[in-house]
Amino acid sequence: MKKISLLILFFVIATILHWAFMALLGNWDISLNLMLVFTVAVCAFLPPAYGYPTAFMSGLFLDFFGVQLFGQHAFVFTLCAFFVYSLENRLEFTSVVPQMVCVGCLTLFAALGNLILLKVFAGFSAWNGIGPFVGGIVGSVLVAPAIFWLVQHVLAAKNKIY
Amino acid sequence: MKKDSAYTKKKATLKRSYKILPAVFLLISVLLMMLPLEGPVASMKALLSYIFIPQIRAAHGMAEYSKEVNEAIKGLLNTHQENEMLKTQLSKIQLENAQAKEIFEENKRLTEALHLKAPNKWKGIWAKTAYREPSQWNSVVVDKGASDGVQLRAAAVMEQDGHPILAGIVIEVNDNTAKVLLLRDEDFSAVVYTSESKEEGLLVGAGAADLKLKYLPLLSAVQEGESVYTSSSSSVFPAGILVGKITEVARSNDLQSYLTAYVKPAANSGMVQELFLLTKE
Repeated sequence: MKKISLLILFFVIATILHWAFMALLGNWDISLNLMLVFTVAVCAFLPPAYGYPTAFMSGLFLDFFGVQLFGQHAFVFTLCAFFVYSLENRLEFTSVVPQMVCVGCLTLFAALGNLILLKVFAGFSAWNGIGPFVGGIVGSVLVAPAIFWLVQHVLAAKNKIY
Repeated sequence: MKKDSAYTKKKATLKRSYKILPAVFLLISVLLMMLPLEGPVASMKALLSYIFIPQIRAAHGMAEYSKEVNEAIKGLLNTHQENEMLKTQLSKIQLENAQAKEIFEENKRLTEALHLKAPNKWKGIWAKTAYREPSQWNSVVVDKGASDGVQLRAAAVMEQDGHPILAGIVIEVNDNTAKVLLLRDEDFSAVVYTSESKEEGLLVGAGAADLKLKYLPLLSAVQEGESVYTSSSSSVFPAGILVGKITEVARSNDLQSYLTAYVKPAANSGMVQELFLLTKE
């Protein structure tokens, strides 16, 4: 129960920071996907019972602001969570480099996935140019170690339940 | 044993359910994407707004606050730059103020000099010290030259308390500048007389030491404290210009054929700023 409460608190803080960064970095056309970094960190250190609902809810949070399509972020985030759990035995998530590589690849995947889903389901292209695209990936990769550290030291369980 | 098998069974069920979990969420997501934006999706969004709107408000508040902080930092940086600029301006003004003070003092001296009567009996021109060689403190270069009427071997006079005093002699003349050899230089010499004993002698420079007044008659009654003036016998200097005061008369050497006195010059070589250069009629 304590872990669930902490996870909800972290989720709320992540949503606030996500929008705060969006508002601040929007001046430089950088869309930092803090919710995805948070989701990947949760999936890296917490069991699927926590990871998948977090991924789905984080996606829904982003979908809430969409006007063309509803559910594409939830879909992509759930897929990302699935990838993280699939890679769990192959990557050492306590090290900074695997964290950054994983976040970088998944941010790229999420961005491309969203574009494809928008095109397929809504016939709408949301391409904003290479600058915001690369800026978002680089920004997410840079903040990843800090978020991973927080999740690992505050939220992570000692033994995962499978 | 029974307990163990129940635990293993429960664990296996959990593992299976975790495998189903992503499939369930993906299915819900696909359904949500397929649903029209009006109707159920709009209702869901309305429901979610209760959960997400407060956080968005908080995020906007944070962003606004950080923008204010950004503005405050920019303001501080501007203030720092402005402060540096004002400091530079202040130093410049202080320098200008010091220069103005010097000019004011110079003006005061020149105004007093204009009221000076003594040099008026001679024809000449006022000149300012333009340059002083660091290694040669016994000569100065003044800002007047041949084009202003300055002549070679002209007497250079200073003003002190309204009286003229001998400062040196012009030894070099260029078009716009002239070099003045001051009293203390060892190459300087002038025929002078003592105020009380009325004895004539040859005054020569001695560097940093007092000037030497040579060739005074052995039996003369020259005394310490007597004033020394330029003599009419001099072909260079007009008679009656104060040179200095006798500080010592050397009488100790029995073999000497003349007396030597030491004279402290009235003109301070280090303070030469304006000179009146005499010109011949």
